Amino acid sequence: MSTVAPARDRGPAHRAADTGRPRRPHRRLSSSLSSLSWSSLLYVAPALAFFGVFVLYPIGVSVWYSFYAYDGLTVGTPVGWDNYTAVFTDSQLRAALLHSLLLLFFYAALPVSVGLLLAGAMSRIRVYGLTLFRAVLFVPQILSSVVVAVAWRNLLAEDGPVNAVLRAVGLGRFATSWLGNFDTALPSIGVVGTWVEYGLCMVLFLSGIVAIDRSTYEAARLDGAGAVREFFSITLPALRPQISIALILTVTFALRNFDLIWNTTRGGPGTSTTVPSLYVYQDAFQNRMLGRASALAIVLTVVILLVVVAVQLLLRERDGTRSGPVRRGLARRGLERSRLARPAGKKAQS
Amino acid sequence: MKSVRREARSGVRPERAGAPRRAWGAAAAVALAAALACAGCSPPGAGKTATAGTQSFVTEPVTTGQVAALGDVTLRMWADQAEKPLMKSVVPAFEKKYPNVTVDITYKSFDDLVATVVNAASGSTPPDLFQGNIGYAVDGALVKAKLVRPLDDVAATYGWLTGTGASTLAPARWNSAGTAFGDGNLYGMSPISEVQGIYYNKALLKSLGLQPPQSLSDLEKQLPVVEKAGKQPVMLGNSDQYAATHIFSDLAATEQDPTAIRDWIGGKANTTFATTGNEKAADTMADWAKKGYFGSGYDGLSNEDAIARFAKGSGAYFVGGSWNGAKLDPEKFGFGALTTGGAGATASPWHIAAASKATPAAVAFLAALHTPEAGQKILDTGRLPVVTDGVRAANSLQSQTLDALKRTIAAGTQVGYYDWSATDMLTVMGGGLQEVMAGRTSSADFTKAVQDTWRKARESK
Repeated sequence: MSTVAPARDRGPAHRAADTGRPRRPHRRLSSSLSSLSWSSLLYVAPALAFFGVFVLYPIGVSVWYSFYAYDGLTVGTPVGWDNYTAVFTDSQLRAALLHSLLLLFFYAALPVSVGLLLAGAMSRIRVYGLTLFRAVLFVPQILSSVVVAVAWRNLLAEDGPVNAVLRAVGLGRFATSWLGNFDTALPSIGVVGTWVEYGLCMVLFLSGIVAIDRSTYEAARLDGAGAVREFFSITLPALRPQISIALILTVTFALRNFDLIWNTTRGGPGTSTTVPSLYVYQDAFQNRMLGRASALAIVLTVVILLVVVAVQLLLRERDGTRSGPVRRGLARRGLERSRLARPAGKKAQS
Repeated sequence: MKSVRREARSGVRPERAGAPRRAWGAAAAVALAAALACAGCSPPGAGKTATAGTQSFVTEPVTTGQVAALGDVTLRMWADQAEKPLMKSVVPAFEKKYPNVTVDITYKSFDDLVATVVNAASGSTPPDLFQGNIGYAVDGALVKAKLVRPLDDVAATYGWLTGTGASTLAPARWNSAGTAFGDGNLYGMSPISEVQGIYYNKALLKSLGLQPPQSLSDLEKQLPVVEKAGKQPVMLGNSDQYAATHIFSDLAATEQDPTAIRDWIGGKANTTFATTGNEKAADTMADWAKKGYFGSGYDGLSNEDAIARFAKGSGAYFVGGSWNGAKLDPEKFGFGALTTGGAGATASPWHIAAASKATPAAVAFLAALHTPEAGQKILDTGRLPVVTDGVRAANSLQSQTLDALKRTIAAGTQVGYYDWSATDMLTVMGGGLQEVMAGRTSSADFTKAVQDTWRKARESK
């Protein structure tokens, strides 16, 4: 603690000159408000202003509206927590949330698995034209979601290519109007989501794999590890940060998913593909119930944040930072990781 | 070894130490933003003031002199992009007659227009003249917030209250609170009308030895014949959930008094959707769906795709409305109404902003839309005018459609659309019909769900 106190009194200029001592603890603790430097704030001011106006302010407005019955035009009437009660008691919304949870599997779990599989395969097998494959597999991620929706609407149509293939291989009895059938609509939209997201996951994982020291693979192979063992013992643990990021992105995408559904089924047939964000749109823009839409949007945001925090905690737990027996066991892995990340012998970042 | 471990520790721990602090920071930022946005926590919308009441009353048709007195002025308009062909012929003539006026139109797709026009109208510089949409979500909101000018004086001055188009003004009439329509002050005018009915493929019917259906019972006799011949009887694309509601309303209008339907749509007290006529219509829909008259996979096909397929020759019938006609070859397809008239409505009405500073020019523009000349141009561009006197059709499909419209208006069966009755009615009814047609809900449960939505909408007013 004694090394900390002086740091508070030092300005940034002084700190820059101070090269002889390990600086990280200082910088970390000096992030408290007391050492907030106005000149450094100036550098982030434009970004901060942008963030404030286009992110924080709208969130604030949503929170404010969520306590009123407001049509966007005439003076709103305060309703207390009524809008929130409505969100939690509406049976249609509960059904929509269940649909979202099922979509989590298709939008997050599947893309990450497929991405891992592809990345693992691509890193081990020498593929000619790898760049091309990588680019092509990434394309779904760059396409506008409206384009994706229209394309898949045609692919999955009663007389579309998917059914044509099924019929060609003698599976014609399974052919159906995929998006128009009460039982297949939701999984079909899920598959579209998988198709959109797996490219992103794969590219993330490939970049992670590149950073793995090849010598660890050699060592593993010398020890007689096969492809599967190599994948689970080296690739998978090393990719934990990338998996965490991929999950955060895909989970967010899954829970706030709107455009794909709006442009394929509009929540139908019946209510079989409704999701919460669909109701946010309908309440805000069709029903002019901005209060209820805001409340639902806030709840949805909190749910997404909670899930993301849970994902982060789950995947960060083993970073070798805990004290006690767990840490000792895991420190080894942390050690492995730091070796993987930086060639041994190179000095700690300073 | 030691150095590595220390590095690992110092490299990671700060993140953990920082996490809760960051969370608090984020929470504080959101709270701050909420406080800023809340601005003393007055109710939202409190700062806005309506600017109605500054308009002068129109007693004589607007003269070129009155418009010229505005000086060089831009008439700012928002319109559905479907109006573009009509505007292309109306605007140049208007600008020639009133040289000091420049017309500036922002076109939007129907969905975009409906979603944004109310916000545009409530902004500080609203468009002078814009299209709304009948029902509570758009027109009702505009009237309630006093954003549009009443047009009773204009209608009386220009003679809209007499002649063929007079009854088409009803859906643009509202009570002053914006809570019920069909009666009351006039707030909008649409020069375009719509009629629902059934399109048929002439060649296909002829090859099966069938005459164009004149009534619902004709159609019910023909459907199995077409089906047995291995052709799809009715082309339907219902993924947008609204196409089937049009078929339903055609069937429902044959089963009951059109006035009762219109009253229910307008929100008249003590009316109900749970009638035997509506249940029967829903049962017919389910029956047709079960018998395969709509083909399979209609819930996965969009209405746009369905009309394109019908235009290419698949399907013997297409139940829709005059707005679909522009996409069909007038030589190959015919149109008929199922009832003595057929259901229908007016298209999105035009409104004059209460805050407009170019009201005389806006009035003159509306008047120019409500003329036989404009009516002819409307028909020429593939739609139906409300002013039908002296308007001549160019082909048999147009004259059939125009004929159906005239009979509809005369018979009083222009009931409007069900989804006008509540802002979320299209979703409830469209989704509900999908369930009925798939045999997942009974027609009684369907009409009850629709009535519940209607009742909730009334209670929240």
